[in-house]
Amino acid sequence: MKKLLEVALGILTAVGGFVDIGDLVAATATGARFGLALAWVLVLGVIGIVIYAEMAGRVATVSHRPVFDLVRERLGARVALANLFASFFVTLLTLAAEIGGVALAVELLTGINYLLWVPPAALLVWLVLWRMRFQVMENLFGLAGLTLLVVVVAVWHAHPDWSALLHGATHPAVPMGEGRPTYFYFAIALLGSAMTPYEVFFFSSGAVEEGWSTTDLIVNRMNVYLGFPLGGALALAVMVAATLFLQPRGIDPTHLSQVALPVVLVLGKVGLAFTIFAFFAATFGAALETGLSCGYTIAQYFGWQWGKYVKPAQAARFHLVMLVSVVTGALLILTTIDPIKLTEYMLVLSAAALPLTYFPILVVANDPDYMGSKVNSRISNAIGSVLLVILVVIMLAAPPLMIITKAGQ
Amino acid sequence: MIDAGLMLLDRQLIDADGMLAGKVDDLELTFPEGGGPPVVTAILAGPGALAGRLGGRLGHLVEVVAARLRHPEETPGRISFGLVKRIDSAVRLSAQRAELDTDRVESLVRDYVIRRIPGGDHAPE
Repeated sequence: MKKLLEVALGILTAVGGFVDIGDLVAATATGARFGLALAWVLVLGVIGIVIYAEMAGRVATVSHRPVFDLVRERLGARVALANLFASFFVTLLTLAAEIGGVALAVELLTGINYLLWVPPAALLVWLVLWRMRFQVMENLFGLAGLTLLVVVVAVWHAHPDWSALLHGATHPAVPMGEGRPTYFYFAIALLGSAMTPYEVFFFSSGAVEEGWSTTDLIVNRMNVYLGFPLGGALALAVMVAATLFLQPRGIDPTHLSQVALPVVLVLGKVGLAFTIFAFFAATFGAALETGLSCGYTIAQYFGWQWGKYVKPAQAARFHLVMLVSVVTGALLILTTIDPIKLTEYMLVLSAAALPLTYFPILVVANDPDYMGSKVNSRISNAIGSVLLVILVVIMLAAPPLMIITKAGQ
Repeated sequence: MIDAGLMLLDRQLIDADGMLAGKVDDLELTFPEGGGPPVVTAILAGPGALAGRLGGRLGHLVEVVAARLRHPEETPGRISFGLVKRIDSAVRLSAQRAELDTDRVESLVRDYVIRRIPGGDHAPE
């Protein structure tokens, strides 16, 4: 019974914790500009994160070694250091974007400029990282993130033409006025939003933080196989809402309020209240995950003690890295760089950096020295390999596409 | 011993209390006096040791930073191979990390930064 509750809670927090600023921005932008013509990319991205997060969680559970620890052991000190630079940089940008998202959510609520909310938001993020227990943190913000269900309710209430939506999703076509390069540029951003590298850093380190053992492998599978697709469904609902309400009006979202607009149009003030809360929970929860991931990657490369399962004084450098990362992220937003633009760049860079994280996971998940009998199944390997090929193509295609399309304009 | 590099390099160090204590950044090899193959006499850990293995401009950069962080007369952190208790997926040591000279930077950060912030010595709630 206790295990059952644990599994249920795990699934719920996986659903609520799935969506972050990247998903909100990417799903809204693609829905507003392309309708559901990019929905297949979201499906592909969810399959990708499911396959690789399951591997990362299984590796961490069986070997008690999180991803970046193994990256170094597998790739060697030099290549892993280059990987660390790229992964940390992308994760730090994501942290900055999430802090910006928190501040924008509070701006929506108060009407006071978001820049004023950046310092208190960053302080609150750091305080939670400093003082709150891992499980409490994960459950609290995971469950709060479930309020994003309000978007599903809004879509349902709008009584859309379901068959037209389905047709748009299954017969993807580049809309009039949009070029093919732009279409693929946004496809890459959307894939990046579903598969951001920090998710596997956080998920595998979380397995060690929570002291998972082989009896928890079932928790790992349920979280990933049920929680992530349902979380992806929330992102899809955001995309559908943008397709229904933003695309006909020709709105290209540049602010978080436009992401909230469909819900407001259908459900009014109550909808707005729920949406603001959901934005806050989603971005704040993700700020915690990315803040931790900044510490995890660096500490795991150098072998320092890390984790919230010990006192801060016992993991001094880990906490120092998190503190510096949160401050740097906040300062980056305070330069008045547009947080939504920053998110879009971050997503494309995330997508380009994905093979660096996913390749070592695939290798270690097949190594019987670490995994014993729990090595990858053939299906995992087949899907994992195909995805990796796609990710390498994306890594090569992202920089030229970014230049040709002037970052999707 | 032939596979010392493969077996040991870049492995996690874990101390007697199960705390993470750095990585095997490099190895100290000694040639026995009577000739024969070299034997591993110590594990070198910390940025100073890592810099040597990275090589090139990157290694030089790490070395410069590492040298700034330690006393001029100190050498990169060294852990005598006699302290190695067991080698599995990690290298397990029979000493506590506070006793190792590879723990210097960690204890500096702990004493001068983390302990000075309220709550640094308390477990999260």
